[in-house]
Amino acid sequence: MTEDEATDTLSPRERERYDRQMGPGVLTAEGQEKLKSATALVTRTGGMGGPAALMLTMAGVGRVIIAHGGELISPDLNRQILGSEPLLGKPRALYFAAYLRSMNRYVEVEDIDHEPDDEEAKELAERSDIVLSCPPTMEERLRLNRAASEARVPFLDAAQWGMTGTLAVMKPGETACLQCLYPEEPPFEELFPVVGAISSAMGSLAALEAIKILSGSGQPMWNRMLTYDGYHGQIRTSDLRRDPHCGCCSSMPSAREGS
Amino acid sequence: MKIRVLLTGRGYQIAQHVPDPLEVPDGCRVTEAIALVAQRLPADQALPDSCLVAVQGKHLGSVRSHDEATLQEGDELMLIAPVAGG
Ligand SMILES: [Zn+2]
Repeated sequence: MTEDEATDTLSPRERERYDRQMGPGVLTAEGQEKLKSATALVTRTGGMGGPAALMLTMAGVGRVIIAHGGELISPDLNRQILGSEPLLGKPRALYFAAYLRSMNRYVEVEDIDHEPDDEEAKELAERSDIVLSCPPTMEERLRLNRAASEARVPFLDAAQWGMTGTLAVMKPGETACLQCLYPEEPPFEELFPVVGAISSAMGSLAALEAIKILSGSGQPMWNRMLTYDGYHGQIRTSDLRRDPHCGCCSSMPSAREGS
Repeated sequence: MKIRVLLTGRGYQIAQHVPDPLEVPDGCRVTEAIALVAQRLPADQALPDSCLVAVQGKHLGSVRSHDEATLQEGDELMLIAPVAGG
C-alpha cells in the first residue's frame, strides 16, 4: 500500500498538506482524521455551494458529494467560482467535480448531475455525515431539511439575496429545523439578485461550521442563525425557536449519539 | 421610547425610510412594533407573513405567528424576510 492510499490515518503527505490547519486553535490530528473519514453532501454548488464544496475539499473532508443540474451560463459567472469561461455551455456537476478533484487528490468527489428528489435526497443524506443546503429554491431547501432530519445528520442552511445572507446551523431532534422557521414554503423569485462576494462569504462560513462539526473543533453555532446584512453593514446572530408542532421534527426523539 | 430596527433579508432596500431608532409607545408589544414598521414602508410594499421576527437576538417566530413580548427601551427588533438564493 502506498502512503497516499485511503485509510482513516493521515499519510505524511496529507499531514504536509494540512499542516497550516493543524495546531493550536485549529484542528487536532485526530480532528483532521475525523474529517478524512467524513462525507459531506452539498447541493447545489453555485454561488454558495461552490465555495462551500471547495473549502470542504481543500480542508480534507474525505468524501464530498455535490449535486447540481444544468449547464453553466454567462450570468452564473458573477458568483459560481467552480466555473470558468471555457466551461460555458458545459454540464456544471461534471466539470465542477473535476475542478474539486484537481484541488485535492486526497478527497473523493462524487458528482450528481441533477437536483435530487425526495427519495434520492433521503438516500444521499443517509450516506452523509452532514448536509449543506445551498439551492436557489425554498422547496429544495425544505426537501433537504426533511432528508437530513430523517437521516439524523446535521443540517446547514446557507441562503442569500442581494447583498445579504443567512446561515442556520441545525441538528435534528435537538434544535429547530428549517421547517420550524418556515412551516409553509415562502415565495421566492427564481432570478434573485446576487453579488458573488456575499454568496461566496456565506458558502465559506457554512463550510467552516461543517469543518468544526465534523472534526469536533471549536463551538458550532447550533440552533443559531447568522444574518450578514452586507447592504447595511450589520451582522447578527439569533437563537432559533423550535416549533413544538413542527410537521418535520416535533415528534423526533433526540439525535443519535455523537452526530 | 425608542427601539432599534433592522429589516434584512429579501427586499431589504424597501426599509430605507424606516427610522432607526424608531419611536414606539412605552410598553410596546412586538405585534404593535411590527405594525409601526410596516406603516413606514413604501405604500406598495408589505412585510411578508413568513418574515422571521427576532428581538434582542431571540427568534420569536414569524410575522404571521410569533411569541408575544413587551419591548424595552433600546431593544432591537430584527425582521428577516426569507432568503433562498444559492
Ligand atoms: Zn422542525
